[in-house]
Amino acid sequence: MRLSDIMAAAGLAGWAQAALILFLLAFGAIVIAVLAPSRRREYDRASRIPLDDDHPVTPRERTGDTP
Amino acid sequence: MNPHLETFSYDDAIVRKFMLATFVWGLVGMLVGLLIALQLANPAFNLDIAWLSFGRLRPLHTNAVIFAFAGNAFFTGAYYSTQRLLKARMYSDRLSAFHFWGWQLIIVAAALTLPLGFTQAKEYAELEWPIDIAIAVVWVAFAVNFFGTIARRRERHLYVTLWFYIASIVTVAVLHIFNNLSIPAGWFKSYSLYAGVQDAFMQWWYGHNAVAFFLTTPFLGLMYYFLPKAANRPVFSYRLSILHFWSLVFLYIWAGPHHLHYTALPEWASTLGMLFSVMLWMPSWGGMINGLLTLRGAWRKVAEDPVLKFFVVAVTAYGMSTFEGPMLSVKSVNALAHYTDWIIAHVHTGALGWNGLLTFGMVYWLLPRLYQTRLHSVRLAEVHFWLATLGILLYVTAIYSAGLTQGLMWRAFDETGRLQYPDFVETVLRLLPMYWLRVIGGSLYILGMLIFGYNILMTWRSRPATLAEPTVQAPRLVPLAAPVPALAPARSLWGRFADAAWHRTWERLPVTFTVMVTVAVLVASLFEIIPTFLIRSNVPTIASVQPYTPLELAGRDLYIREGCFNCHSQMIRPLRHETERYGEYSKPGESVYDHPFLWGSRRIGPDLAREGGRFPDLWHVRHLEDPRAITPNSIMPAYPWMLTADLDFDGIQRRVDAMAMLGVPYGDALTRAPALAREQARILAASIEAQGGPPGLETKEIVAMVAYLQRLGTDIRRIAPAPATAPAGAP
Repeated sequence: MRLSDIMAAAGLAGWAQAALILFLLAFGAIVIAVLAPSRRREYDRASRIPLDDDHPVTPRERTGDTP
Repeated sequence: MNPHLETFSYDDAIVRKFMLATFVWGLVGMLVGLLIALQLANPAFNLDIAWLSFGRLRPLHTNAVIFAFAGNAFFTGAYYSTQRLLKARMYSDRLSAFHFWGWQLIIVAAALTLPLGFTQAKEYAELEWPIDIAIAVVWVAFAVNFFGTIARRRERHLYVTLWFYIASIVTVAVLHIFNNLSIPAGWFKSYSLYAGVQDAFMQWWYGHNAVAFFLTTPFLGLMYYFLPKAANRPVFSYRLSILHFWSLVFLYIWAGPHHLHYTALPEWASTLGMLFSVMLWMPSWGGMINGLLTLRGAWRKVAEDPVLKFFVVAVTAYGMSTFEGPMLSVKSVNALAHYTDWIIAHVHTGALGWNGLLTFGMVYWLLPRLYQTRLHSVRLAEVHFWLATLGILLYVTAIYSAGLTQGLMWRAFDETGRLQYPDFVETVLRLLPMYWLRVIGGSLYILGMLIFGYNILMTWRSRPATLAEPTVQAPRLVPLAAPVPALAPARSLWGRFADAAWHRTWERLPVTFTVMVTVAVLVASLFEIIPTFLIRSNVPTIASVQPYTPLELAGRDLYIREGCFNCHSQMIRPLRHETERYGEYSKPGESVYDHPFLWGSRRIGPDLAREGGRFPDLWHVRHLEDPRAITPNSIMPAYPWMLTADLDFDGIQRRVDAMAMLGVPYGDALTRAPALAREQARILAASIEAQGGPPGLETKEIVAMVAYLQRLGTDIRRIAPAPATAPAGAP
């Protein structure tokens, strides 16, 4: 008996749809999380990270993680 | 003063190394591209030299521009931006050096082995197994170095650029390993673990995602760093960039089957690929708009700064090619575009426009910073920009017209219901003016590249005697003693969810984050791929399909060596104009012994899936020796060396043994493959001589090649009661 016979007999075809739906749910959760209004200030800070490194020897006090 | 403040420096020497490699390999890859463009416009440019013929150089061109040019460009930007975004030097200078030199050695190995004909015959995965192992090792070194730097970072939040890098590094590793699994039959020969439909599925899962995770996500990472830097303002919407990221990770991995519409792939897989491709339109355009709107209020700068000009056109090209990609994945559009030059135009919009221009813009921005001087000439950079843009326009306009022309000619029927252009070469002749136009467009792009090189050289020459190593101070990252306090007391389960603390936590935990991305990619891949691999009903077996004889197998390996699959497909789609032109459409069960599959992706010449028995043996000998002696206007390279080179009969046993290990039922060939091959070669050579051909071919490579070509697509005819006679005068 080959692996493919076992897999064929196991009737796993429906799991692909299940995975698809789980994917959709996970993606939906992420979209909601990203759009949460509470994150605006945090995003503002994060979006400035690339612009931070032009003052190489000027130390900055850390602003901390909470916005 | 912060007690945790640390002083450290960035490693810019490695960035300079990768930057120069980007230019050198870019120029080499583009020059090879120019040569093969000339070969298509006029076959005399093949020069009748084996290692310069189109079939061997085309993979060299694609590998050089993807892995050498775009690869080194990604590493240049990644080493520069990663250190700065994380406020940390690279984890290990030794690993950086190992990565750099290892990658360049791999490129040299590719440049040597591909012209010699060592190839796995899978697009963008042509390199043979020892080089594949080297790639895996170097890639792991890069990953260790990259994640090591993350572990030592001094900036808690991982900026979105780094997310794109993480997804690229992880996914490329997975793709590379699974698509290259094979059984070696010698140092530079191997057979794919998969066959036929499964191999095709695996290959285009790889091929599509190589475009996604080698040419798209790394460059999006670069865009989200260098575009704000050059415009000196933050990205238009950080929120949109995160959505862009997750949508790509969730969608891209499912889209691969759109490369196999109307082939012997199961229809459900093909439809799934199409749906996810169409959905990709949204995040791609979201990303493009995000990039362009970053310049809001700064458009005046675009007029003055060549760097921003390059970026604007690059991002626009990203938008154009990602609009076109989903459109091409729609089955009815694909029926017209597949196998034509349309696809070539599509990829060049992406490669020359998006990857090329983004790289140029990035390097022009980096040059003065890395060499601590001024850019030699802003005006020359402007000239480069206009030459490149004009070159792209000429190139794609010509090749879009070529693709549409050929696609429409293939499917044209006259009023009597017969093919309007039954002679394939007619459809090729019509393209030659456009092929010359492409040569001009490509040359302009390369001219821009030379000016770019001059600018790099002159900027390098004006550098200070010693380059200072930038010193930076940043506070050490203290471990979070307590979890982040909730922003506001959540009122309900929904409220807590919507506060999204969980997503915020992920973003600070790179290991968890990486695991999540990997899981998303793996789960999608597995659920798409496993059914095709393991459910038998997807590939119905055909009793009359038998393994290739030892001689035919040797011939197939010559077909692979010469890269015939670059121009000839072996997959007749169930479309009326195809069955009229080539015969019965291809069935999944016909390629169950094809390790690797050779369905092809482009028809510069006609399909060969039913080539067996179409022409006499001698016709093939004469045609391979000099195609234009048979078809006056053919653009096929000549293969005269096949008539003089001796076939390695003794090596055939090793090949048969490797195939047997893959489960191909070889019967008594397992013990006496060379003898069987010699016997078949003797009979075939006698038949060629009897038809008036040259004597003494029974020991030459040509007999194996002819034996293979005469076998193609004949197995299913054996059960047909009366085999159809070969249509006379067909191309």
